[in-house]
Amino acid sequence: MVNSNANAIGIIFPNSYDSMVPELVSERLMASIPFAGRYRMVDFILSSMVNCGIDNISLVVRQNYHSLMDHLGSGREWDLARKNGGLNIFPPFSEKNVKMYNGRVEGLASILPFLSSQSEKYVIMADADIAVNFDFGAFIDAHIASGADITVAYKEEELPMSVRAANDLTSDFYYAFRIENGRVQKIYINPTSPGKLNFSMRIYIIERELLIDLIRTAFVRGCLYFERDILAPQLDRYHVQAYRYDGYVARISDMKSYFDENMKLLKDENLDALFSPSAIHTKIRDDNPTRYISGARAKNVMVADGCVIEGEVENCILFRGVRVGKGSKIKNCILMQDTVVGAGARLEYIITDKNVTVTDGKELRGTDTFPVYVAKRQTV
Amino acid sequence: MAKEMIAMLLAGGQGSRLYALTQKLAKPAVPFGGKYRIIDFPLSNCVNSGIDTVGILTQYQPLVLNEYIGNGQPWDLDRLYGGVHVLPPYQQASGSDWYKGTANAIYQNISFIERYNPQYVIILSGDQICKQDYSDFLRFHKEKNAEFSVAVMEVPWEEASRFGLMVADGNDKITEFQEKPKAPKSNLASMGIYIFNWDILRKYLIEDEADPNSENDFGNNIIPNLLKDGRQMYAYHFNGYWKDVGTISSLWEANMEVLDPEHSGINLFDDDWKIYSRNSGMTGHRISSDAVVENSMITDGCRIGGTVKHSVLFSGVIIEPGAHVEDAVVMGGTVIKSGAEVRHCIVAENVVIGQHAVVGAMPAGEEKGVATVGPGIHIGDRAKIGPNAMINKNVEDGEEQW
Repeated sequence: MVNSNANAIGIIFPNSYDSMVPELVSERLMASIPFAGRYRMVDFILSSMVNCGIDNISLVVRQNYHSLMDHLGSGREWDLARKNGGLNIFPPFSEKNVKMYNGRVEGLASILPFLSSQSEKYVIMADADIAVNFDFGAFIDAHIASGADITVAYKEEELPMSVRAANDLTSDFYYAFRIENGRVQKIYINPTSPGKLNFSMRIYIIERELLIDLIRTAFVRGCLYFERDILAPQLDRYHVQAYRYDGYVARISDMKSYFDENMKLLKDENLDALFSPSAIHTKIRDDNPTRYISGARAKNVMVADGCVIEGEVENCILFRGVRVGKGSKIKNCILMQDTVVGAGARLEYIITDKNVTVTDGKELRGTDTFPVYVAKRQTV
Repeated sequence: MAKEMIAMLLAGGQGSRLYALTQKLAKPAVPFGGKYRIIDFPLSNCVNSGIDTVGILTQYQPLVLNEYIGNGQPWDLDRLYGGVHVLPPYQQASGSDWYKGTANAIYQNISFIERYNPQYVIILSGDQICKQDYSDFLRFHKEKNAEFSVAVMEVPWEEASRFGLMVADGNDKITEFQEKPKAPKSNLASMGIYIFNWDILRKYLIEDEADPNSENDFGNNIIPNLLKDGRQMYAYHFNGYWKDVGTISSLWEANMEVLDPEHSGINLFDDDWKIYSRNSGMTGHRISSDAVVENSMITDGCRIGGTVKHSVLFSGVIIEPGAHVEDAVVMGGTVIKSGAEVRHCIVAENVVIGQHAVVGAMPAGEEKGVATVGPGIHIGDRAKIGPNAMINKNVEDGEEQW
C-alpha cells in the first residue's frame, strides 16, 4: 500500500489549561476559544497534524464541549471525514471506573480499548492552549533517529507572568526541563524562576504499545498526570528526548496573553510565521466579503470576512460578521464573531466575546495591561 | 422515489464577449463579487429553494468549472440521492455529438432526468447574477396549471428590442413570443429560466431533435413550437435583482453594484438567502497603518498597504504601499506593486502589476472603457494600459498598450 501518511495517531486534550482563562471558557473549552480573526485554538494543532499526514485524530474532551462539537462537525474541513481513522471525539464515558477525567492518565485510560485496536506505531499527544504551525513530520523523524522512548517538544523562552503565577491549586500544571545532550534530566513542575527556561509545549510522541503499558500501570496506582506521575519519577528508566522548537508559538495562559497574542498578529512577520508553511483550516461560515462603507476608516487591523464597517477601527482584530456603526471609534480591541457595535460608540482595550452588542453612544475603556472583557451574548 | 422538480443548469457558454477573462474559463466560472463565481448564484438559489438535484451541462473549457463544483459540498449538494452532477457531452453507441444547442444539451441528458422521474424540470442559465426563489416560481406554475412557465423581467420599452419578449394577457398567459423584435409588443423580457412539466419537455425535445432544420434552441425552437400547439404557457413576473453579466462593462457594473446594496438591490449580506461558494481558507485581511480603504469590499487573505477606493478585492490580493486602486475589480491572488495606479478596470486572477504601472483610467467625457487584464498576466514596471485595452499577453516594462 502506498503510504503517504504518518505512522502515528494524534490525541488532543481540548480542555487542558481551561482553568487559566475562566472567563473565556465559561461556555466553552480552551480548544474552541476564538483566535486570530477566524480560527479556534484547536485549528492550529489539528491542521498541523493533518498537514503532516496524521489522519487519525482523537479529541478526549472533558466538559463544556458543545462549542467544540459544533466547530468540528464531521471533521470535513480538516479533511478528517474518513472511512478509516479521521476525527474521533471521545466524550466522558459513564463507566464504573472512569468519570470526568483529571489529567492525561485518566483521559487516556478511558480510551484504552480504542488505543489497543489501532494499528499505527506511534501516538502523538498535544494540548490546544498553543497556536502553532508545527512540523510533526520532522518531530516524528527526530524521535525515531534518537531511539528515545518518548520525545517531548520544548521552546526556550521566558515564562509569562501568568504561568509563573499559576499555583498548585489549579489542576493544570506547567513543566520545564533540565536537558543534557538532548535528554531530559529533570522535570520542574510549575516553575517560577525568572529568565529563560526550556518550557514544555506538551507535545509528546511515544510508541503506542509503550503508552498503553504506562497508562495501565499508572491508572491502577491512581496516578493522574502523565508528566508529574509517570515521566518525572522515571526519567532514569525511560529515555525522554527533548525536541527543541524555535518556530512561532502563541500561548493562551490568561486574558492578557489572549489579548497580546491576538494583537501580535497585526505584525505581518508574526502572521506569516504562524500561517506558514502550511494552511490552517477552520470551519467555513460562508460569509460575504467585508464591506467598508463611506465614512469607514481602518488602520492597522486584521479583519475576517462578513464584517460591515462604517466607523473607525485602529489596531484591532475583528472576527467574522462584526458590525461597527457610523461614527464609532474602536481602538486596540478584539471583537469576536458577530459583535455589533452601534453608532457613535467608543471602545478602547476591550475584548468582546461572541454575539456581544454595544448599543449606540456607549463608551468602554480598559487599559493595555488590563483589557476589559465582555462576556458572550451580553448587551452593553 | 421521484423528485418533484430537478434543475438543469446550462453552463456550456463560452462567454466570448468577456474576451480575456474567458480564454481558459467557462463563463459560469468567472469570479464575481469578491469571493464568488457566477455559478454560485444559481446553485445557491437551488439549494435555498429546496432543489437538491442539479445537472450542470458543461462544454466549453470545463476544467476550472469541474474542479470548482467538485462533489457539490460547498452548496450542500453532496447528496446520497440526487445532488450535483456535471454533465459533459459524451459518446454514445450511435456516435458522439457536442451539444448543438441549449435544447440539444437537455435532449442528450434525457436519461439523466429520467433517473429522478421528476414532475417538473427547471432550466437555469449559468451566466446571470440573480437571487431568486425558484419555489415561488414553481408555486406560480402549479397555480396556473401551466405546462410551461418562463420567468420574465420588465425592461424599459426603449431597450425591449434587445431581448426575447413574451406577450401575455391579463392572466399572465403567453400569447406571443418575439425574439429581439424591431417593433416590440411587450416589455416582458425572458430571463432564460423555464419550468416545464417533464412529460411536455420530453415530448418537445424528442420532436425537436427529429427536425433536421431546427437549431435545437429553447428560444428559437422549443418555445415557438409550444406556442404553435397552444400549450398552457405562462409568464412569471420577477422583480428582484437580475443581471446578465455577459459583457466586460456589465460584469464591472454588477461588481460595483455589490458595493451599494442599498440602491442596487443585490445584497450579499442576506442571512436568509446566503450565496455559497468554495472558500479560500485564508486568514482575515490585513490593513496596515498607512493604508486607506474607502467604500470597498475586501476578502480574506488580502494585504493592503496602499489606497483602495470604491473597489472589490477578491481573496489574497496584495496592494503594496503607495499603490492606488479605484473603481476596480481585482480578482484573487493578484499583486499590485508600489506606485502602480489601477483605475476603472477588471484585473483577473493571479496578475502582477509592476511598480508605477498605470492600468485603466477614470471615465472622461465619452471615454468610459473598462480596461481588462486577463488571468496570470504580468504587467511590467511603468507600463501603461489604456482604458479600452484588453490584455491577454504579458506587457514589458515601460510598454504602452491602448
